[in-house]
Amino acid sequence: MTIQSESALPAALRDRWPYAPRYANVNGWRMHYVDEGEGDPVLLLHGNPTWGFLYRDIIGPLVSSGRRVIVPDMIGFGLSEKPTREQAHCLDGHTANLTALMRQLDLKRITLVCHDWGGPTGLSFAMSNPARVRALTIMSTWAWPMPPAEFHTRIFPWRMMHAPLIGPYLLGNHRALAGRGVYLSVVDRERFARTAQAAYEAVLPDPATRLLTWVWPRWIPLDENARAFERFKWLEQELSSSKLPTLIIWGREDEVFDAATFASRFKQLLPHAEGPHLVTGRHFLQEDSAPEIARLITSFLDRLDGDGASND
Amino acid sequence: MTEVAPIKMPSLEGKRLSFALAEGRLAHYPEFRDFFVRTFDLDRKGLSEPGFVRALSGNVYALIFIGRSGAPFPSGLEIYAVVDALEPIDGGVLDHDLWSILRWMIGGVGAPWTVEDFDRTGRLYRVPAASSP
Repeated sequence: MTIQSESALPAALRDRWPYAPRYANVNGWRMHYVDEGEGDPVLLLHGNPTWGFLYRDIIGPLVSSGRRVIVPDMIGFGLSEKPTREQAHCLDGHTANLTALMRQLDLKRITLVCHDWGGPTGLSFAMSNPARVRALTIMSTWAWPMPPAEFHTRIFPWRMMHAPLIGPYLLGNHRALAGRGVYLSVVDRERFARTAQAAYEAVLPDPATRLLTWVWPRWIPLDENARAFERFKWLEQELSSSKLPTLIIWGREDEVFDAATFASRFKQLLPHAEGPHLVTGRHFLQEDSAPEIARLITSFLDRLDGDGASND
Repeated sequence: MTEVAPIKMPSLEGKRLSFALAEGRLAHYPEFRDFFVRTFDLDRKGLSEPGFVRALSGNVYALIFIGRSGAPFPSGLEIYAVVDALEPIDGGVLDHDLWSILRWMIGGVGAPWTVEDFDRTGRLYRVPAASSP
């Protein structure tokens, strides 16, 4: 059983999300994505509990700069199909979903821009499909086995929020992450509540549609017995030998994936990377600094184009 | 005060089971599964009967334990309100009852899980039942 919630997007929000909906079948699921502009592709990947809307003010500047911009909604989020069983979701499966879309579109010279769970899924795609990827941009995410942060080991509020039965109640029935959770993780909360919060809530209208909001936290490894431990170990190893041009952007006020810990660790893994560039923002930094992020990515790509850098 | 308590199987005549909440991965933190095994003697009873609790409102809830090949039993749990067959359920009452059942569960699971942390989490995310007496 699956749920399709495109009709849940209110008209007022459609004005702020004017992009033609496109769909692909990936591993049997219906994936929604946006595909705008022409040029080398830039792939914008969201995480939990957001969707492509997170990049609404970044798509335009990238298209105007002469790039093709692809923004998929992860299966389980946004306007994509939403499986209603926890067993439908796993880290490798989500990476395979993205890989399926990239192969169907036959994208090459991809600049992959990732955030939150878009990091482990997108970077796993990049490391397993190096011939298709030209560059990386990394924002507020992680790519190593454990521990992600002290925050994720604490019972209050993180482990309590997604604990057995409590996850379905709090994040499902009460929309804790898709509503107040995102609100608490932006800097300008008043503006967010006025202009954006409804877009995240509207696409997850019912408890069953919010399944992935409590399933993803359970995939964060907390010890070596965790389901994704080996995948993250592999990912860290692969990244450590990657020479892909990389840009690191982080929210200065990020308390979940704090810059001092996470951006610095990415810099250690990828010492050739540009940055970290700190911008105004908590975990959902795109909500507070979209124009600056767009400028940083565009400038980074302009320099790559000028250098003639290519993975071909 | 103990707000929730296990009870023996009530008469289900003239009643229906109204779905309330489902958990597909009860042993994500194994101590949660252990609590239900202990409380409802599941190592002995297995799938033979649901567990039943009486919640804050006086309403009765059935706990249906789910088995899954290759995973310790129970792997999942579904909670149903036992209600008059043709009557709708009051959503506000149901929400408060679920809150009280989860609160009882956390108390039973025990340290390092605490009712205080559960209450704080509920208040942080503005769950109405978390701020009600």
